[in-house]
Order: sequence, then C-alpha cells, then structure tokens
Amino acid sequence: MATAIALSIDMLSFTLTLLLVTLGLVVIFGMMNVINMAHGEFFLIGAYAVVAVTRAGGSFWLGLVLAPCLLALIGFAVEWLVIRHIYRRFIDTILATWGLSLALKQGVILLFGPGSQSMLNPIPGTVEVLGVSYPAYRLFIMGMGLALALGTYWLFFRTALGLQARGVIANRAMAASLGINTRRMDWATFATGAALAGFAGAVMSPIMSVDPQMGMGFLVPSFLAVLVGGVNSLVGAALGSGVIGGTTTMLSARLDQADAQIVVFLLAIMVIRFFPQGLTGDRR
Amino acid sequence: MMLYVEGLVAGYPSGGRILDGVSFDLKEGEVVALLGRNGMGKTTLMRALCGQLPLQAGTIRCGGQSLGGQPTFQFARAGIGYVPQGREIFANFTVEENLMLGALGKPSLPRSLPAETFEIFPILGERRAQRAGTLSGGQQQQLAIMRALVGQPRLLLLDEPSEGIQPSIVDEIAVTLGRIARERGLTVLIVEQNLDFVEQLASRILFMENGRIAARQAEVGELRSDSDLIHRFLSI
Repeated sequence: MATAIALSIDMLSFTLTLLLVTLGLVVIFGMMNVINMAHGEFFLIGAYAVVAVTRAGGSFWLGLVLAPCLLALIGFAVEWLVIRHIYRRFIDTILATWGLSLALKQGVILLFGPGSQSMLNPIPGTVEVLGVSYPAYRLFIMGMGLALALGTYWLFFRTALGLQARGVIANRAMAASLGINTRRMDWATFATGAALAGFAGAVMSPIMSVDPQMGMGFLVPSFLAVLVGGVNSLVGAALGSGVIGGTTTMLSARLDQADAQIVVFLLAIMVIRFFPQGLTGDRR
Repeated sequence: MMLYVEGLVAGYPSGGRILDGVSFDLKEGEVVALLGRNGMGKTTLMRALCGQLPLQAGTIRCGGQSLGGQPTFQFARAGIGYVPQGREIFANFTVEENLMLGALGKPSLPRSLPAETFEIFPILGERRAQRAGTLSGGQQQQLAIMRALVGQPRLLLLDEPSEGIQPSIVDEIAVTLGRIARERGLTVLIVEQNLDFVEQLASRILFMENGRIAARQAEVGELRSDSDLIHRFLSI
C-alpha cells in the first residue's frame, strides 16, 4: 500500500514538474507555433540566474523572482532580434533558434565554466503525506507547477490581454484591423513563454545538476507532452504531461531508466499517430 | 471629408499592381456602394483602405489623418472599421470574446461591451457564450458587423456582406445597418453584388474598372433605369 501511495505521489510529482517545464513551450510552440530550439537554454539560464544571485550573496528566493524577469528581457530581445523576422519561415526558425541555443550555451560556459554547480536545497526536510514521508521541496515544486499552470490559464483565457494575444495568434490580419497592436502582442507573448521557462529552470535548480547540458533532459519530454496533449492547448499540455510523466515514473519503477524512456517514446509516437491533433484535438 | 483617397497604387507581391491609381472621396455620413465586375480590384481596394495591404504609392486620409505607411492597427484606431469578405470571425472564440476584441483594440474605449451591443442583433445576445464557429453564416455576418461597430468606427468598410446569406437575414442586416448609419452619422463604403441590398442602403454608386474608380458615377436610382451602366460595369 505504502509503495502504491509513494508511486502515485512520484507520478504526480513528475507530471506537475513536467507541466511546470512545459508551460513556456506551450506558449511559444503550442500557441505561437514557433519551434524554439533555444527553449532548453532559457530553462538553463533560469537555473544559472539563481546560481549567480546566490553566489552574489542573495537568497535563493530572490533568484527565483529575478530569473523569470531576466528571461522575459532575454525573450523580448530574442523576439526582436531574431524571431520576428522569421515567423512565417518554419525551417529558418529551427536553424536560427538552434544557432541561438549554441550561442547561449557557450555564453553560459564562458561565464560559469563547463562544470556542474550545485544549489543548496532551500526547503530541506521531509513532509508526511498519507503516511509516506516526501521531500518538502518536491512538494513545493508540485505546488508551483499547479499554481503556474492555473496562472497561465487565467492569463490567456480570462484576461483582456490574453484574449488579444490569442486573437493575434488566431487571425493576425483581422486582429490588427480591430486596432490590436500585433507586434506588441508578439513580443509580449514570446517574453511570457521565455519567463515561464526561466522560472521553471530556477525552481528546478536545487534538485538538478546545474550544468550546461541540463536544458536537454527536459526539452524532449516537454515537446512530447505538448504534442501528445494537443498543440495550442493548455489543458492538453496538462494531459500530455500526465501521460508522459505518469508512464515514465510507472515504468521506471519496473524497468531501468533507458528502457522506460524507449517505451514512453514509442507510446508517444503511437498517440501522435492515431491522434495527430493530440488527445484534446484543438480545444483549449 | 471623411475619406480622401488619391492615386492609390497597391497589389500583391506575386500579382503586380492591382490598384492602379485609385482616387475618390467620401463625405461624412455618406453611404456609398462600390460596384464592379469580379477581378477589378474591389476587395484589394478594401484591404488597402483598412491597412492590411501596404501602399506602393498614393494617399489615404481618414478624417484628415494621413495613413500611408502606418501599421494596420493605426488604420483601425483612426476610425476605420472593416467587415471583410468571408467574415473572418474568430471561430474558436465565443461570440462575446469576438465582440470584446472589437473593443480591446481601441485604447480610448472602455474595456467592456456597450449596453446596446446585444440589442442591435438580438441573436448575438442569445448566443453570447457559444463558439462563433457554430453560428450560421448570417449570424456570423451579424457578428462581424457588430464586432466592427463595437470599436466605434467613423468609416465602416463592408465587403460583400450579403454573400452566402439567406434573404431574410440579408434584409434584416440592410435595415439595421441603414438605421445605425443614420443614427451615428456613420460613413459606409460597401462592396456588394446584391443590387437590392445596395438600393436599400446606398445613396451614391462608384464603379471600379481595371484597378481604378471609373469617372462615371451614379445615383442609386439610376441603377435599374440605365441599362448601359449595368452592362458596362456589372457584366449582365
């Protein structure tokens, strides 16, 4: 029984963690249709921002607040310098953002070196959950995943700003003819996605090895979660994170890590084969 | 003068000059129809007037404000409302969200729908929470018109508003538009094939021929009596 509960909490934990990491991708890839190969680097810079703040004597929590702000600025700059010129050019977007990802990664290596940095756990200790003791910081991450998903949903589906952003994405020319400043919506949406990625990196930094490769590990399952759940869909991203996160955790309990990954990828390919629009179709 | 257009040249990157020196003007409160055969550039002109198509040459002034070279949203903020051919409603959004977008684009307007929004076309009130894509063609047209009106335009551009819509709703739209134009002193430019619709609404007729406005203009009453007009400009 206790193992079943522990496994369930593990599944939920990985699902919400994956959701947290996926949110930025949902905005930039799912909603804006930009394949941003530098998304993993946004995540990475978020984690290194926390490292830099704590090294400079600031607290982890200050880093957690500053990281998404920094990434919003970087997102704005990237949109302005690169993305806005290539919105309609799919292949060029992949190439340009891939180049950008290399540059950003090398920039991080120049500043911090290639080695791994470790962060102290800001909430050490465990909490008793249904008779299972669970690391407190993992629970914090789960809470953040849930809160941020709800916050993102609220921003895009319950506010005037979100409605305008979705209007521009749905029909750019018509939105402009209603008086909406489409350029402003573009960079604001992109910066929001970048900030979400940066926040995810910052939150994850205490439980991961903060090194220049850390972006990759989550990038692939995140893309899968978006594709499985349904592009252009926040509920889909949550569902996709659940499918990918849940099965990965479940299989990892039985198989070794690499085999579990292979099975999950095969499963994802099957889902995408039979539900090309994702599990939620094109709904929210 | 509400709209002043002179020497307008515009087209598509692939298709060359479709508008080849368009000049005309609209007085404030005037309802004018633009007629012409298919392929003469009527829709292209509408898209240029609402700023969706960049000008290669010429002048567009709305209410004295020069709009050449401005981004599209500035055309809308200068008071040009656009109801495109094919309606272009946001199919996945609710009726209410579609209408809200008409208001949100105008920083000078409150971020809420005016009280009479759902009185003008009552069906939109009944369907306000429904996805716009599920409406019938006529209801979508009413939504597209109302979405433009919510933005308080001074000049309304309507491209084929009766296309593919059942006659009873076409009639309702014509009557309602005529009343609103009179009440608000709205200037309206309509591209339309349906002559009944044109006769109900418009007072003056412009004809388009080979990317220009023809020198020959007409009062609405002449449409039926002058068979040369119909023959020359409407290919019947």
